[in-house]
Amino acid sequence: MKMKIKMNLQKKIRYLMLFALLFTGISCNDWLELLPPGGLIKEEFWKTKEDVEAVLMGAYDSFASMDELLFKYGEIRADLVQYDSNLGSDERNMMQSNIYPTNYLCDWSQFYKVINYANEVIHHAPLVQKIDDTFTPYQVESMMAEAYFLRSLAYFYLVRIFRDVPFITGPTLSDGTDFYVPKTDGDEILRILLEELKTHRSSATTDGYATLAELKGRATKAAYDALIADIALWLFDYNTCIEYADNIIGNKDYTLMPSTKWFEIFYPGNSLEGIFEFQFDDDLNQRNSMYGLTQRYAYLYDPSPKALEMFAADYAARELYRGENSSIKKYGTDDYIIWKYVGRAPDGYSIRSGSEQNSCNWIVYRYAEVLLMKAEALSQLERFDEAHELLTKIRDRADVSAISIANSKIAYEDAILEERALELAFEGKRWFDLLRMGRRDNYARKAALVEIIIKNVPSTQKRILATKLTNPLGWYMPIAESEIERNRELVQNPFYNY
Amino acid sequence: MKEIRKTIIFVLAMLSLMNSFAQNKTIIRGRVIDKADKTTIIGANIIEYNRENRVINGTITNVNGDFVLQLIDPGNVVSVSVIGYTTQTIKVDPSRAVIVELSSSDIQIGEITVTAQAQTSNRLTNIEERDNASSTVKIDLIEMHNEGIVSAADALQGKVSGLDIISSSGDPGSGSSLVIRGLSSMGNSRPLVVIDGIPQMRISRDFDLTSADTEDISNLINIALQDIKSIEVLKDAASTAAYGSQGADGVLLIETNKGRMGKVQFDYNYKYSLNVQPPATPMLNGDEYIMLQLEEWHNSQGVFDLPAEIAYDRDYIDFYNYSANTDWIAAVTSGAQTHDHFFKVSGGGEKTRYYTSFSYIDEGGTTINTNAKMFFTRINFDYFLSRKLLFSVQFNYNSNSTEGNMSISGRNIRQMAYIKAPNMSIWEYDQFGKLTGEYFTPINSYQGYGGDYYNPVAVSELGKNDYVENMLQNTFILRYKISDWLTFNETVSFQYSGSKSKSFLPFNAMGTDWLQWTVNKADETNSLSSSKNIESQILFNVPFQAKQHVLSGSATWIVKQSQYEGMNIQSNKTPSVNIQDPSVNAQINWQGSWSGASRDLSGVFNLNYKLHDRYMVQTILRADANSAFGDNNRWGLFKGVSLGWRFSHEPLLDSWDFLGDCMLRASWGVSGKQPGDTYARFATYSTTANGNYIQNPAIIPTSIQLDNIKWESITSYDLGLELNLFDDRLYLEGDLYNKLTTNILFGNYSIPTSSGFPQLKYLNSGELENKGWELMTEIRAIRQKNWYLSFSFNTSQNINAFTKLPENFNTERSTSIGNGQYPLRVVEGEPIGSFFGFRYLGVWPSDEMVKATDADGNILVDSEGKRIPFTYLGTYNFKGGDAIYEDINHDGKIDLNDVVYIGDSNPNFVGGFGTNLKYKNFNFALNFNYRMGFDIVNRVAIDTENMSGRHNQSKAVLNRWRVQGQDEEGMLPRAYLNHPANYLGSDRFVEKGDFIRLNSITMGYRFSQTLCSKLGLRSANLAFSARKLLTFTNYTGQDPEVSMNASNPFWIGEDRANTPPSKVFTLSLSIGF
Repeated sequence: MKMKIKMNLQKKIRYLMLFALLFTGISCNDWLELLPPGGLIKEEFWKTKEDVEAVLMGAYDSFASMDELLFKYGEIRADLVQYDSNLGSDERNMMQSNIYPTNYLCDWSQFYKVINYANEVIHHAPLVQKIDDTFTPYQVESMMAEAYFLRSLAYFYLVRIFRDVPFITGPTLSDGTDFYVPKTDGDEILRILLEELKTHRSSATTDGYATLAELKGRATKAAYDALIADIALWLFDYNTCIEYADNIIGNKDYTLMPSTKWFEIFYPGNSLEGIFEFQFDDDLNQRNSMYGLTQRYAYLYDPSPKALEMFAADYAARELYRGENSSIKKYGTDDYIIWKYVGRAPDGYSIRSGSEQNSCNWIVYRYAEVLLMKAEALSQLERFDEAHELLTKIRDRADVSAISIANSKIAYEDAILEERALELAFEGKRWFDLLRMGRRDNYARKAALVEIIIKNVPSTQKRILATKLTNPLGWYMPIAESEIERNRELVQNPFYNY
Repeated sequence: MKEIRKTIIFVLAMLSLMNSFAQNKTIIRGRVIDKADKTTIIGANIIEYNRENRVINGTITNVNGDFVLQLIDPGNVVSVSVIGYTTQTIKVDPSRAVIVELSSSDIQIGEITVTAQAQTSNRLTNIEERDNASSTVKIDLIEMHNEGIVSAADALQGKVSGLDIISSSGDPGSGSSLVIRGLSSMGNSRPLVVIDGIPQMRISRDFDLTSADTEDISNLINIALQDIKSIEVLKDAASTAAYGSQGADGVLLIETNKGRMGKVQFDYNYKYSLNVQPPATPMLNGDEYIMLQLEEWHNSQGVFDLPAEIAYDRDYIDFYNYSANTDWIAAVTSGAQTHDHFFKVSGGGEKTRYYTSFSYIDEGGTTINTNAKMFFTRINFDYFLSRKLLFSVQFNYNSNSTEGNMSISGRNIRQMAYIKAPNMSIWEYDQFGKLTGEYFTPINSYQGYGGDYYNPVAVSELGKNDYVENMLQNTFILRYKISDWLTFNETVSFQYSGSKSKSFLPFNAMGTDWLQWTVNKADETNSLSSSKNIESQILFNVPFQAKQHVLSGSATWIVKQSQYEGMNIQSNKTPSVNIQDPSVNAQINWQGSWSGASRDLSGVFNLNYKLHDRYMVQTILRADANSAFGDNNRWGLFKGVSLGWRFSHEPLLDSWDFLGDCMLRASWGVSGKQPGDTYARFATYSTTANGNYIQNPAIIPTSIQLDNIKWESITSYDLGLELNLFDDRLYLEGDLYNKLTTNILFGNYSIPTSSGFPQLKYLNSGELENKGWELMTEIRAIRQKNWYLSFSFNTSQNINAFTKLPENFNTERSTSIGNGQYPLRVVEGEPIGSFFGFRYLGVWPSDEMVKATDADGNILVDSEGKRIPFTYLGTYNFKGGDAIYEDINHDGKIDLNDVVYIGDSNPNFVGGFGTNLKYKNFNFALNFNYRMGFDIVNRVAIDTENMSGRHNQSKAVLNRWRVQGQDEEGMLPRAYLNHPANYLGSDRFVEKGDFIRLNSITMGYRFSQTLCSKLGLRSANLAFSARKLLTFTNYTGQDPEVSMNASNPFWIGEDRANTPPSKVFTLSLSIGF
């Protein structure tokens, strides 16, 4: 009898267990592994070479969408633009060197995003190669070379804007990554990058791209050469600069555009002269900001008096091909705008329209600049004749007469600086050119830099600005306040430590 | 002998056979009477059970207490039961009528013991309530219903020590925020609500902290108040550990009413409430406003061109529109009333019990065009398949629709009413002073752009912002009693919720062109969420032969899955103000959708041992796995141990007769919290904004993979003492606790952007401590037949501090100083929600008096002996009439270095007290609650006393500095347009919020039984109550009950002029029949 009850109980329990299992037996770790229903996650990514290329393109695209920032960092503190009524206070303050760490232009996050994307490509490309058999070593190397190029270019901007910055060379893969990286000396970063670029240059392609847009819009050997020459020039390593500039000069694919076709550098772009240009195409939803920034009704940035002296017909400028209706354009009696990103022709009235409006490229390097880089390096090595020859070549192309320059480094420095202003106006170069002059030979020509800049401000502000710029630390931007608050390893740039 | 036995068996068998033949005629009849007074009992159940204890037949007694039952098998057991009496088994004797004398079951037990013996069914543990050694408080609502309580928060506010309840807003449909034993996490605290054992679904989508306010949080309790039988608050982690990863913010266990055996009962309850808003801060009228503006212009600019709007120029085309004296606050305020109908039917017999209720509430808001309509139904149905098998079904449906007003440019209409220029008219006049019939909504007014400075009446009347929510919950429970000591429960529950919010703003409500993107804008959001919850549980009670050992416990396995999805669409430029749906052919601004799911597995094990009914050990162990975590941290272990010593039962103390049940208890436990965003751990990739570069797709990483995300855990220690003295006349309960949060989950944790990302979705780090004590007491002074008088009091103190900050934590959350801005800091050892700012010392009476001094009061001079000017940031020199700030470092410059600690929002003491008086059929109750020792940043004062812009100001500014040398007590600084430093974030706007409030006052009358019978009713009650009638406080704002909105955990306790909780007068009528 007792047995029976026990049996009964066991039976019941067995039933219950079965019942319970019915509902709950599905337990296992897999059941808890829920993936997000929408969106792409790392577990599903980094499987094919297309994935690697897509992130590489993400880096290009993100860098390209900074065109407006590249313009601001390269131009607005210098003497070729002035502000108009619609300009925001942060930009105005920057133009007058009234820069506080709360200014949004102190935010470097966009550059670091590009750096992180590049780092991801460098990290993952070799790993993907192990999975994807179609991913050839050549392709891996060449994509990594592009990533190295973009990373170096981003750091080169950062160092020129902020001087010392955190030097991050690995991707931010997880929350285990050390985010709190202190600053590294800017010149040190550039020296490391220079060596890195020299190493990876061989992996970059020369003609491995199918389309013109890719040849100009992705990093080729020529783009490498231009960047190496530029960084070397910034580090005053003139021989390296000349060596790599010569690589381009010796390259038959690149040449100066004839003077009558000078404007084709900007419209339609991707000219024979272009070495590296961030590509925009409104038809592909890739819109640049420069049209919106400089078109007639934007009222943001206008050519400065200095720019008018160089280009405007009313100011007896001699520039036929690079002057009024090419670099700038006059409306009404005295309303001038920047024309390089607005026009379709050097006639002053053909305006970009339709999808072309937002399709002009942002030119990072072009042939004329490489010649001027080399000229600068030569003159600093006191090889004045060769420098003069290059300068004359640029002036000939612009159909302006050669100038005679005294055989001194300073005379050449000034002449080349002036020629760069004429040739590369509004292309995001001027401020960095001035800084390079100011920094050279241990700030020997600091006063010249200050003089050039204060010419562009109203007389009431000249003295204040001159005082501010006397300290070379004030040439660099402060680190954004929010960034200092986030990262206790960072020290504010000394000029702003009050 | 054997033969004899055989014979007997044979005879018996024959007899039974005969019986079975006689089956058709086996009829028993009898009468059921009360053993005590020999009166007959109506409605008693006469039930026939078969050998498996299955109910097979039954009847009930008639009005005379008589019954007749035809038995299916005379061998079966027949029992008689009725509510209130002990059940009795009767002998089957068809030969004569039986008299069943039932003895009343509740005479000696008393109501207290009845509840004390209850084994709560809605728990994951198997502990007798009386033995519970962890810190919990249970509030019974049954009594209160007749006394006319209005909300669940009311029932708890000021009654449970350590529970801080704040009504977040007086807007209809909004509830209260609940904080149990201090803020212990980042962000708003959301206690888990468990209704009848079913944890209520929380929307797992990481909702947007910037827009979420406490109103979202407190509406957790979606249940008609009258359905609630009791609310139990679990306070320490030893008890919340049973809820594992969801228990960190505390747990509220809600038990609903069930059907009881007995006659069917109908109850109807109606409440009518009148809601009255407390008086608003008095604001300037139009004339005073214009004077103030003129003064502001003059002080800041000297000579100026008079703007036409404040120039009293009769030729000005809008003269009539700008010369009004509008009381905007009054214009957006209205009286409101609430109707609350509740109807229930309940009853049951031996086999089934049912409880059904319907409730409809129409609540009006005190801000114009706000109201909420709620509909609740609940069905609780129990079916006893046999004495061993119980099947229960619970069904619950709520519908909730709220009408509100739009918030534009970050200002709701009440905030707008405070700042709107009072010289502007609500309605538009033409130039001759005739009303045009339109609202006055200029594109640009004196104050600014019409889209920012809108007409709040027009926006409220013409715009709409509606919200509808429908919720459904179904629960099936199968309870099988396997043996005397083993019970099996299987619970399957489904919850479903769908909501829709819709808003529309027509162009004529704003002074803008219809092509403006902010107007003729239709916005609609739909969302659905659902969850399934399956619980399998074994409960055991080991019956040892000797009664001194009691071992009980339970093991539970829980599987849970929840999903959510939603979409949002916004369009503008709808072609007509009457087309308010975004789906029409309009310009779509934005559309988006989202979805997701989360899954949980949990195992809970509970084991309890009791020796001699005196020594108790209770343990809980719960393992949780959640899909939000990766393999490495997926399982979290939560645990608790409670020790209890019922010292009153020690034989030593037998002689102390005054001692009732007294217990000393100690507990330790760990519970946890999981992240809201269940997909946070994944590194995600998406396309760039452009989507491609040249002709190639472009993809970028968008969030960082979280390898280290884990549970936030809360460890608490609790030491408690419960005393029942003098035959339950005095009840005392005290607790000491310490609660430590470790691995705090920081959401959207900012990291250096040099990493390529702005933030981590979550970071576990740091420690936060809450410690304190609680005391509750209840004195039942008089307990007589006609008189009953009791007093209750409770208080608690909580001290909150960040004991450890995350490594690399940015303690300077914000270093911005400026007008109306407070820098945000976190200091290790200081509480969360501390305020930092300048010290305000009054107003400089004249220009000459302004001086910078050193610590000894000497005037600061520079190297040339010239006075150092006293400045703000070195850029503005203070003048007469400007605010004085303390120059902490005495450098003659007010800047970030002069910022000091100026208060915090955590109350030191919260609690309440009250009294309850009953005389015959009358009852009277008073309840107070208080919060002490906390500060409020009075944002309303910042906005209405700054005299620096074109916003309207409060009457307080009439006492302002006007002329050199003026020096009056309590005078405000001068009016000055865009003054750089006249209302810096300082202690001028930080006020003590301490208050004592008469939370409720209730008077009730219970109709006598005789009167009820005459009216044909079972019972009738009438109650009148008033809520928040009186407040004692020094706070100058509208109401010191400012919500602890912790959506920014470093900025808590700012008075932002939400609709303050109204005074509510309620008349309540309940009848039962």
